[in-house]
Amino acid sequence: MAEFSGWLLDLYEDPQAGVVLWFITEETKRVRLRQVFPVTFYIGGEEKELKRAGVFLQSHFPSARIFFTNRKDLYSQSQIPVLAVETQPIHITALVRRVAKQFPRLDYYDADIPIAIRYASRFKTFPLALCRVTHEEEQLQALEVLDSPWELDPPPPPLRTLQIDLDCDPRYGKPELLTIRFNDKEHRIPIQYERSSLIRLNSILTNFDPDLLLTNSGDIWLLPYLLDMSKRTGIALNLNRDPNRSVMIKKEGSYFSYGRIVYRSQQTLLFGRCHIDSRNSMLWQDYDLASALEMARVTRLPIQTAARCSPGTGINMMEVITALRQGVLVPWQKTHGEEVKNAYQLLRNDQGGLVYQPIEGIHENVGMIDFISLYPSIMTYCNISPELPVPKDLGVSPFPPGLIPITLRPLLEKRVAMKQHLLSLPPDDPQKPYYQARTSSLKMLLVCCFGYMGYKAAKFGRIESHEAISALGREALLRAKEAAEDMGFTVLHLYVDGIWVKKEGCSQPDDFLPLLNEIVDQTSLPIALDCIYRWVAFLPSKQDSHMTVPNRYFGTKQDGSSTVRGIEIRKHDTPAYITRMQEDLLGIFETAANVRELHNLLPRALSLVLERYKNLRAGRVRTADLVVHKRMSKELSAYRVRSVAAIAAQQLEDIGQPIRLGQRIPLVYTLGKPGVSAWHEHIPLDPRSVNYAYYCELLTRAAGAITQPLQMDEEALNMYLISDGINFASESLFPLH
Amino acid sequence: MGRTIPSANQYLIQEQESFSRFRRALRRSDQLALDELFAAARKHAAALSYASHALPFEVALLSMLLEEHKEVMRLRQLIEAQSHQENG
Repeated sequence: MAEFSGWLLDLYEDPQAGVVLWFITEETKRVRLRQVFPVTFYIGGEEKELKRAGVFLQSHFPSARIFFTNRKDLYSQSQIPVLAVETQPIHITALVRRVAKQFPRLDYYDADIPIAIRYASRFKTFPLALCRVTHEEEQLQALEVLDSPWELDPPPPPLRTLQIDLDCDPRYGKPELLTIRFNDKEHRIPIQYERSSLIRLNSILTNFDPDLLLTNSGDIWLLPYLLDMSKRTGIALNLNRDPNRSVMIKKEGSYFSYGRIVYRSQQTLLFGRCHIDSRNSMLWQDYDLASALEMARVTRLPIQTAARCSPGTGINMMEVITALRQGVLVPWQKTHGEEVKNAYQLLRNDQGGLVYQPIEGIHENVGMIDFISLYPSIMTYCNISPELPVPKDLGVSPFPPGLIPITLRPLLEKRVAMKQHLLSLPPDDPQKPYYQARTSSLKMLLVCCFGYMGYKAAKFGRIESHEAISALGREALLRAKEAAEDMGFTVLHLYVDGIWVKKEGCSQPDDFLPLLNEIVDQTSLPIALDCIYRWVAFLPSKQDSHMTVPNRYFGTKQDGSSTVRGIEIRKHDTPAYITRMQEDLLGIFETAANVRELHNLLPRALSLVLERYKNLRAGRVRTADLVVHKRMSKELSAYRVRSVAAIAAQQLEDIGQPIRLGQRIPLVYTLGKPGVSAWHEHIPLDPRSVNYAYYCELLTRAAGAITQPLQMDEEALNMYLISDGINFASESLFPLH
Repeated sequence: MGRTIPSANQYLIQEQESFSRFRRALRRSDQLALDELFAAARKHAAALSYASHALPFEVALLSMLLEEHKEVMRLRQLIEAQSHQENG
């Protein structure tokens, strides 16, 4: 028997039996072990039908162990008789499919749980957990986890990371050069010489032996391309660390989520080492590797899966672990429907968060107070869980904690602790981005937990609980509003979990402290002063200038940083040239300490807009900076009137580059018909055909959104720009208010 | 996640559209005043939603009245301040 301490890197089904585990030992060795680990799923339903299913299973799958037992049903909170089927992890999916096809009227439980989640529920493991391992040869005998997913500063594993970059985006052209980086070294490999590039790549992979392979477009292009090359040349490519497994390719797909179609591209997954494609990682754009690893630690999903899955899947898996540990059945397909409601109940319950129309204009010294993770806090504080009665008011529940609060509490506590730790760090602390990335991934999970509760197919969802959470959220926000008004504050805006207030003489954090204490007294929920704005501008709706809209504002905080919501800079379909103009414009206003200084900065801001406008009008802008990305929301054949996205998608399809639902299509607005050209290296585009006049309109609109609160709306700005700024005299034409 | 009931804003837009024939037959100046009334109702969309009233148009009318009354109060204060200034 031997023993070592090390970090768990990867875990998957053994093609023979049990599971394979990869560890990085403290001596930095990479060790593969195997473990016997049978898994069980359960079948519920009519006794007669269950017996028939038992006979069927015994005759078709003699190696499976089949027996009757009792397990706890979450919704009825009682033990129900079920047929248990114990088998090897590698066989379970096929077995479930076969029996479910034969007996579709039976209920199936614990049938689709990933092996890493089953293992985590039993041994308290998680990716990169520090473990003490006892083994005999390749067989794992005992495992003890030495840290927990809730550690703020877990012991860092000595991960070896290899990054492969391409010289161009494979969606728009064929890459010719790979740049490989590891340990401060850089290798450049031209792909055209297939044999030599494979030999060099193999040598790097063998000698450096990375744990993490970071790529850009590795899922859809690079790894499949390298594997094809390997097939063509007959030179084996050791992408996997486990020589017994071949690379797994999961097919692409599209799904509907939160009112829009989302495209999920093909995934290329490795065994024994992890491949993360930054382009196919949901969290990567906003955060980075730290957030992907944090996601893996807390959800217990393998690193490769956690980097690619939605936070909804993550939170679902955390709930599944709680259920497995409590011996609660995890339904395969949920059968628990919505309760019958009368019209009034429906009217009253079917509401979202409370959202005000803010008071239009620029306001100084505005305190932004928000509830810390409002919905998760309500879920844990009021004990909201699908198996429990729905609470009617903000208060402590008389019932023992339910499945959802048990799952959420450590996550919530970790986020709050990490946020507090972040606040204690000086602004220029190099550790800050690391903690920020991790707390953001925790936030995503917490936010999704509420939404998931209302999702009809969620394993542990219940619409009544979902409605109760938002009702209590509205109650908390109204109590906060009442407390603020009682203390003489003007409530400028309410937005679900945040409240914007101002009061003459209140400009420092301590001035808002009594209000914070009062809100905590009234709601018992954690709250914090998020920031104080030196100034904040709430903007009117683009459709109706009479109205302000809840989420369209910008402002500068006392620490000098800015917040921007709902304007072009935040939108995916704004060309880079216009985004940069808006950024620079905001950069000018950012320096203003108050409204008077904002007005004084207007002439400088206008000359910047004029300069960019003139460049655009004269076509002195790179076409690449004018590319707009639009999402395909329907199949091409489903468009009756073709949108610009559909026209561009057709153009791409015509050159053999089909677009899938939910994918973003890069395009440029052009003169004449059809008015748009897909942006691709094989679709020629003469810069003279670009519709610069239309881009000028877009630029004016974007600049107008910023200058509007300073009495320079889009129309006035347009007058200023088309007359080259010669009719403008700020004081006389646009007097201060 | 879909919603069974339209949001307060959607409801107000639908309600305003249902008056389009009425609006069309009004004089231009009256049309603009009517638009302002609906804008006044939209200012209280959050409260309209929270009220969960079985007849939401009553709440919309009350919202219009509320804004009208605020305007009356503002004008009254203005007049009072002016007469105060003149007398004082």
